[in-house]
Amino acid sequence: MEHHASLLAKWLTQVLGLAQHPWPGFAHGAALSVLERYDHLLNAALAAFMAMLITALVRRNLARIPGPLQQTFEGVIEWLKEMINSNIAHHGERYLPFIGTMALFVFFNNLFGLIPALSPGTSNWNVTLGAALVVFAYYNFHGMKEQGFVKYWAHFAGPIWWLSFLMFPLEILGLLSRILSHSLRLFGNIAGEHVVAGIFFGLMPILLPIPMMFLGLFFGLIQTFVFTMLATIYLSGAVSHEH
Amino acid sequence: MKKFLTTAFLFTLAAVAFAQGAPAAPKSLFEGQFVAHLSLAIAAAGCGLAQGKAVAAAVEGVARNPQAAGNIRTTMIIGLALIEALVIYVLVAAFAIK
Repeated sequence: MEHHASLLAKWLTQVLGLAQHPWPGFAHGAALSVLERYDHLLNAALAAFMAMLITALVRRNLARIPGPLQQTFEGVIEWLKEMINSNIAHHGERYLPFIGTMALFVFFNNLFGLIPALSPGTSNWNVTLGAALVVFAYYNFHGMKEQGFVKYWAHFAGPIWWLSFLMFPLEILGLLSRILSHSLRLFGNIAGEHVVAGIFFGLMPILLPIPMMFLGLFFGLIQTFVFTMLATIYLSGAVSHEH
Repeated sequence: MKKFLTTAFLFTLAAVAFAQGAPAAPKSLFEGQFVAHLSLAIAAAGCGLAQGKAVAAAVEGVARNPQAAGNIRTTMIIGLALIEALVIYVLVAAFAIK
């Protein structure tokens, strides 16, 4: 896949006067500055910073009679809490901070595709792979913490002991391929949507991209929902005790 | 139709045989971008059928029992995402071929 740096990275390169040089094994040796090469990290960091800024703003101006922003956030948090509680049997609220952080990070990243001169951080596999790895590490850690190290890994062997030599490798393979599917789903959706919007923009820049951008808004929301929901389901599978 | 398919199959075989016989021959039709586009079209067709089936069943469920709309919607979206993931893999492979 060829590399398209966002306009912000190109502009920052010009303003800051960064040196452009070819990167071995990347973008066919095109001369890029460090910001253009690591464009996805710039956008992801910007999205994370924006999410933090907005949540800090809401946190500072908490009021008894909430404004529109506080109401939106209250609704989102209530909804997340309900989703976690309906999936995780006991004390689901413990995982709300992590799940909520991932949801906000992914959501802001997805929506960056709609802002001109920016590109969504999640349209690069490195960012989504990072997010999926963080989720993977989190649910494995909490699974081991809740069930104990031996019991957690033993439940991959299945209920019948003489089939465990067959079940254990398959379950471990399934566990590892979750990282791949979890990250590739988000990356492919957002990247594909962004590419299609770009092609529409190339065909006719005035009105044609608008329906695609609405679709992008919708897809960004749906993909955030799916990412969060799958993270919750993996987490509930890891921490649930078998009675 | 059958004749056409047979002819197309023979042409494919010929293209493959030609490509094998002459290493410096020009690229055949079934290499590179064309394959990416064709495979994406096939995957999208299958995904469309599958998602249509899933949505039809969900709508029927909601029509029969509107109380369960929330649960059905959540389950449907998860299912649609899992179906869509297969097309997304093909899309990623298509990006990789290019």
